[in-house]
Amino acid sequence: MLSNYLPVLIFLIVGGGIGAVMIIAGFVLAPHKPDSEKTSPYECGFEAFEDSRMKFDVRYYLVAILFILFDLEIAFLFPWAVVLDKIGYFGFWAMVIFLGILVVGFIYEWKKGALEWE
Amino acid sequence: MTGVQFLFYAFAAMMVFCALMVITVRNPVRSALFLVLTFVSCSAIWLLMEAEFLAITLVLVYVGAVMVLFLFVVMMLDININRLKEGFVKYLPVGIGVAGLFGGMLTWLLYNVEAADLKTKMRTMYPPSAKPADYSNTEELGEVLYTVYVYPFEIAAVILLVAIVAAIALTFRRRTTTKYQNPDQQVSVKRDDRLRVVKMDSEEKK
Repeated sequence: MLSNYLPVLIFLIVGGGIGAVMIIAGFVLAPHKPDSEKTSPYECGFEAFEDSRMKFDVRYYLVAILFILFDLEIAFLFPWAVVLDKIGYFGFWAMVIFLGILVVGFIYEWKKGALEWE
Repeated sequence: MTGVQFLFYAFAAMMVFCALMVITVRNPVRSALFLVLTFVSCSAIWLLMEAEFLAITLVLVYVGAVMVLFLFVVMMLDININRLKEGFVKYLPVGIGVAGLFGGMLTWLLYNVEAADLKTKMRTMYPPSAKPADYSNTEELGEVLYTVYVYPFEIAAVILLVAIVAAIALTFRRRTTTKYQNPDQQVSVKRDDRLRVVKMDSEEKK
């Protein structure tokens, strides 16, 4: 089975190799004459207003967490879809209950207004 | 040493190196990127154990979703790195103590608890034989996950539900600064909510 993944390994090695060669060649071959103007951050023609790091809305975190939770739910669907013809109605209803429990959570967040950004 | 063994040691070494870099690199963005690389090497090791579904899920969920969101947060967050580094020396003895405790417990567990049993197990346990090319780990997993392990599977749904409710309860705040109209309230408003007729005697002009 592992031999199926040999192309992936070759792809990884070639991709990593090309990336490394690019960076190393740029580092070795290119002239290095840094000065304070070159190394300072710039913002398209004018002085930078502020630090790029700032406090941001906690609702972003909420959206991210909800996304990951439903991402995990999808991950459970893949093996189920592959073996649906073997596990029969028992497996089918097991997944229906699983999805039903998560739909409760979905209705909760919808009704609560957590999906709205305003 | 076979090719698979070589690959295992290569990825394991990469994983340990990246895990060390996660906690030693100064820049938090680089630290998060090294954590991505740790997950990738971990998924490669799982793939070598022929657990292909788990390996791909690790890349899909952790590298594709969790770490990208994490990276955004780290990039945007207002972290004062110097403040975080403060107190390193002060907490070092406590850290070493906790690490030593856990290391000691693990070592003790490995050598003392049912030592004979464990040693015979280690000697008699061989890696499963290599699977044929058409072997599907996903299929194998699905056949037991939704039938034999259906109860833990439903518990997973409940845990996800609890996580949804907890995330909303912890971080969801209804905005008080934004002004918006609620049509429900507008329609259902009664005359008495807005209008008050005051009865009073007429007054004379003095």
